[in-house]
Amino acid sequence: MASASCSLLRLQPGSTGSIYRIEGMNPILRRRLADLGVSEGVMIRLKGKGPFMGPITLECNGQLFAIRRKEASMIEVKVS
Amino acid sequence: MSSIALVGNPNTGKTSLFNTLTSSYEYVGNWAGVTVEKKVGSLKNGAGKLIDLPGIYSLHPLSRDEGVAAQYLIEETPEALINIVDASQLERNLLLTLQLLEYGKPIVLGLNMIDVANARGIQVNPEVLQAQLGITVLPLIARTGKGSSQVLSALEKPANIRPVSFQLDYGELVEEAILSITNKLQQIAGLPNLRWVSLQLMEQNPVVLELLKKRMDTSELMLICDACQTKLQQQKLALTLPQWIRSIRMDHIRSVCAAAIDATKQKPHNLTERLDSILTHRFLGLPLFIVFMYAMFKTTFDWVGGPLSDLVDGFIGGPLSDGANSLLQTIGASGFTHALIVDGIIGGVGGVLVFVPQIFILFLMISFLEDSGYMARVCLLMDSTMERMGLNGKAFIPFIIGFGCNVPAIMAARSIEQPKDRMLTTLLLPLMSCSARLPVYLLFAAVFFPAQQATAVLAMYVMGVVFALILCKLFSKHLFKNESSIFIIELPPYRMPQFKTLGRSTWEKGKGFLRKAGTIILAGSVIIWLMSYAGPSGFNVEMDNSFLAKFGGLIAPLLQPLGFGTWQAGSTLVPGFLAKEVVVSTMNIIYHAPDSAGLEGQIASVFTPLSSVSFMAFILLYIPCLATVGVIKKETASWKWTFFSMGYSLVLAYAVSLVIFQGGRLLGWS
Repeated sequence: MASASCSLLRLQPGSTGSIYRIEGMNPILRRRLADLGVSEGVMIRLKGKGPFMGPITLECNGQLFAIRRKEASMIEVKVS
Repeated sequence: MSSIALVGNPNTGKTSLFNTLTSSYEYVGNWAGVTVEKKVGSLKNGAGKLIDLPGIYSLHPLSRDEGVAAQYLIEETPEALINIVDASQLERNLLLTLQLLEYGKPIVLGLNMIDVANARGIQVNPEVLQAQLGITVLPLIARTGKGSSQVLSALEKPANIRPVSFQLDYGELVEEAILSITNKLQQIAGLPNLRWVSLQLMEQNPVVLELLKKRMDTSELMLICDACQTKLQQQKLALTLPQWIRSIRMDHIRSVCAAAIDATKQKPHNLTERLDSILTHRFLGLPLFIVFMYAMFKTTFDWVGGPLSDLVDGFIGGPLSDGANSLLQTIGASGFTHALIVDGIIGGVGGVLVFVPQIFILFLMISFLEDSGYMARVCLLMDSTMERMGLNGKAFIPFIIGFGCNVPAIMAARSIEQPKDRMLTTLLLPLMSCSARLPVYLLFAAVFFPAQQATAVLAMYVMGVVFALILCKLFSKHLFKNESSIFIIELPPYRMPQFKTLGRSTWEKGKGFLRKAGTIILAGSVIIWLMSYAGPSGFNVEMDNSFLAKFGGLIAPLLQPLGFGTWQAGSTLVPGFLAKEVVVSTMNIIYHAPDSAGLEGQIASVFTPLSSVSFMAFILLYIPCLATVGVIKKETASWKWTFFSMGYSLVLAYAVSLVIFQGGRLLGWS
């Protein structure tokens, strides 16, 4: 089965992908994400997008959190 | 006395557990050279002290809060640790647990929120976890207190807690490096577990590095780390040493979790999902938040707080004053004593105590928002607005707390990861109308805008926020160039706050105000009363000839263009710098007002609606109070920034009041 990778932002709200690559992100943010268990190979779900181009809400390992769209665009996911 | 530290990730219920395990409760500030807020309480069974550290994800600090916890573990030696973990988030929580196990102190694992985990279909087996980690695991429901007695008895004798002998194998390359680092560290006394220090060093923990630098030449150690990292890269094992260490830990955690957790029946978080679909809705979220804020202010000032304040006012102006009057007459007190007690103390302190109900209600609602999990959503909603202004949404929480009191708000700014965002938040926080400024607004709103009290007060709050946003844009553009801000926030599941916890945190926040009423406001009132009672010609002079009038008269000309160039207004400003609460009590004394009705009548004759707005704006914006200045100094550790915050606010206050008054006059208002 072919699976394409795309930016996390392209996911439909409510759908899930597995993290393929995280690149170019602010190192502080990268570390904090790692603290939350967000790293390559982990399943991540896009929960919703905030108002006025605000942060997007994500769920990973049962944990809800939010980051800005600009940063979320650096997370590449694979959707099968 | 032994000390036991309570450590865990944010939002795992540490504070609930702390509250159930301890009887007395104290804040300790100013520790190890930095301002630190670690809570210390006495264990109920008398076994020692429990120290509540800020919530952390790992020992590698990003924010100031985390630095506090890391520093504590390195520089002080608690006898034992309680690590509290969220059973529904075990995998993530265990990362910290492993670091604590490597720390080597006796440790008890409090497996909290087993009810939440069960409700979500996650079964954690404490026995298996205990066997896997080699430490005592106690299932808990900290919110209800279930399991806390077991924790207490486990802590009865910290010496009885099983010592930890936990060691992960980090692979040949890293183990070699650890060995050579520990050899070098042996020459330094007073370090905790050397293997732990080595590992923290290899993870580039800045606090550990800082500490070692003070005691030895660390260049050799860094060489060992670099060499090890190069070898890891050559063998294509990992890009960096910290990454490698983390991956080894994660592998171990996964195997522990695979054995101890059954998540086959896991369900989504229904309540949180449903609430979030409304409360963080892209169109509904913000309007709802504004409605909540409006309801909050209405409750504080109109619906509940106002009537309660009237009751207190009635009591102070009526039975208390009358009682004191007749008592003083019966015992034949001198005119001086009589005036001191009735006009100075009851008039001054009483005028401020009137606002206690409103302040406590505001704090109660802020605590509710914090504990329910809604506050994090507010940060989320506000981030795009805040980002446009050059800050991040997380700064919003300190700003909201700032409505209560600027001092804890500036401390709350510690949870912001980036130094630039933290500094900006600290500098701008004084523009949030704290509860001490509230009495001034309430007084003037009652006199000049009786029909729209809540709206008038809200307008002052909004004015502060608007200026904060404008200055934020300005400062972040010109003072902190080239520094971008980041934003990440955890959204805890919604929960109903516990009444007990709410009560306790409301009390913690509000008691500072009461304490001030008993100390600084009391002293201020007495001094101001004395200054109004005495003058160059002796005691019991006409108010207009008193020292206070002379003194206020010096400032008055400066205030003339702002619309309140009277000595009375001038002389409220200086004590107002000591504590803004004193402004109203000063007025009580100056205008000789027995109760708020009397004061309101006096003010109505001295101020006009326009000059009252100008005065309120000045009180809102001018110089943060002394306590706030002190905290700014501590948190920024810089006189330059401290004076900057005082200077810009004074200039801003003058300019804004000038524009309001002169502009209003041009428009024909009075």
